[in-house]
Amino acid sequence: MSKMNRRNFLKTTGGAAVAAGATLAAPTIANAAAGKVVVIGGGVAGATTARYLKLGNSALDVTLIEPKASYHTCFMSNEVLGGHRKMSQIEQTFDGLKSMGVKIVKDTAAGIDAGAKKVKTAGGSTFGYDACVVAPGIDFKLDGINGATESMFDKIPHAWKAGPQTALLRKQLEAMPDGGTFCIVAPPNPFRCPPGPYERASLVADYFQKHKKKSKVVIIDRKDKFSKMGLFTGAWKNLYGYETDNSLIEWRSAASTGGIESIDAGSMTVETLAGGKEKFDVINFIPAQTAGVVASIAGLTNAKGWCDVDKTTFESKVHKGIHVLGDASVATKMPKSGYSANSQGKVCAAAIINMMAGKPVGTPSYVNTCYSIAGDDYGFSVAAVYRYNKEKDIIAGVKGAGGLTPGDASAEMRRREVEFAYSWYNNICKDTWG
Amino acid sequence: MHKSMTYALAAGVLFGLIGVSSAQASDAEASMLANTCNGCHGPDGVSQGPAAPTIAGMNKQYLVESMKAYSEGTNRKSSIMQRIAKGYTEAEVEKIAGFFAGKKFERVAMQNTDSGAAGKGKAIAKDLCESCHEKEGFAAEDYPILAGQMMPYLKNNLMDFKSGSRSIDNNPNMSDKEKRKKKRALADLMEKHGDDGTNAVLNFYASRK
Repeated sequence: MSKMNRRNFLKTTGGAAVAAGATLAAPTIANAAAGKVVVIGGGVAGATTARYLKLGNSALDVTLIEPKASYHTCFMSNEVLGGHRKMSQIEQTFDGLKSMGVKIVKDTAAGIDAGAKKVKTAGGSTFGYDACVVAPGIDFKLDGINGATESMFDKIPHAWKAGPQTALLRKQLEAMPDGGTFCIVAPPNPFRCPPGPYERASLVADYFQKHKKKSKVVIIDRKDKFSKMGLFTGAWKNLYGYETDNSLIEWRSAASTGGIESIDAGSMTVETLAGGKEKFDVINFIPAQTAGVVASIAGLTNAKGWCDVDKTTFESKVHKGIHVLGDASVATKMPKSGYSANSQGKVCAAAIINMMAGKPVGTPSYVNTCYSIAGDDYGFSVAAVYRYNKEKDIIAGVKGAGGLTPGDASAEMRRREVEFAYSWYNNICKDTWG
Repeated sequence: MHKSMTYALAAGVLFGLIGVSSAQASDAEASMLANTCNGCHGPDGVSQGPAAPTIAGMNKQYLVESMKAYSEGTNRKSSIMQRIAKGYTEAEVEKIAGFFAGKKFERVAMQNTDSGAAGKGKAIAKDLCESCHEKEGFAAEDYPILAGQMMPYLKNNLMDFKSGSRSIDNNPNMSDKEKRKKKRALADLMEKHGDDGTNAVLNFYASRK
């Protein structure tokens, strides 16, 4: 018999499939008692949650508080540093959220009264809520390194929150004379975007190779290994002469330097235990990180500075009615990535809608997909499909699924990974900000 | 009998017996499972481009077969989907495929197509492709929608058919007659019409609005 039975299948069961699909397409709740949700932060986690709350129940009153007029994505900001992309190509507006009825308040959340269920802003406004979503991203921890202050970032950018800092670092790299050395101080775990510093090194090396051949990237790491390490070092060998005398990239482990003693913006030096003071032409200091400051003001952080949550709803373990997600949360074993934040936003929105309707929160499903671009037509990725594991209280990757691009992937596969990385960017931004 | 029960049974009889996923079964809702795909394939499976395909409005069974082929990794290779597809059970894939099949295939991505090439491609497509990819590639009844699909995606897949990394011979969902027909059409396209003709057909389908 002919095996092409897609049409017959559709004809005999299509109607039932549509009907089943419709009932399964919850949580779209018509006539649900409308509630008020205040979202703090217009990054990936906050914007995705706001959008999916509205998609799930358009009657919900959703307010998003964000100090910036638009959001520059950290993902693809390394392409700006490498000169492959303009700042405007990593900028996302809040117009899409506004058009679906999310109220955008340009202000800074200054505190949360969990008892009275109110958010206060720096501008003096107060917003009452039934559920509050806290998605403040990260802040920096400067202790432990002599000379490190907030004011140094005007000269030694972190460029780890995209925007003016990204533009500043690009400007410095453009102004750097050929033959100069660019130093990336890479942060200790855990931090936002684990492969980010190494993608940054790759794309700046690509820029040097094309425009400043005598220049070099030095990564002084505060770790002994890093995300996608084999794939990055493989790419560096293939593209940038890694581990040869003419390598465009040098990576120094924490063990090899003995750790960082000081960073000085005046003399443009980084001091390590083993190497003493070393002068660089451009320094990118990516500090150690904690949850965004509003999380600690609201008392949501643990001793390590991150927020413990119920991993099926992202509701804080400290305060009921407050959900924390994205980089600020402890979502073991999901990495602090843009795709994680987007995925968590959908889980959180569905949970809030169901909780407000007095329904069970439902079974969550999560995914992470993270692309890195190491050079022209040279991309790779890591992916995972996750389920909540109740016994271990972790968001566990499904065994046998996910993982890295194989180290021996063909040139064609690496080229496609770049194509898919660009698709990833367009689609995740549309899915997040509308 | 409840309609969805009939559906589940039909699905079980036709497709449930092939292959076993290592993923744990879950009772997650279709939207919860499907929404995890949007970050790469676009909201509701409508891709903003440039390369990841739109999966909205596709034939449900085609989506199920694709996920199964990726999961097994033998007759359809992919840089990323091989790793993702293994994360879902057959029952979950059914839900995800049903969800996206129920959405509308929209053509929103900015695709820079060449109108001259598209015109040339129209005639070739009518001759070689139309009998399966009906209605100038808009049809979804039997075969995947080509009209308005992302051009790099279409190109990659033609390349994979040619190299055999997307195997027609080993596709368990095609009859021998279909396999012969498809291989003949692809050979005609690539050998008789060459790179120019192939490029023209890609431009034709990508330009359909």
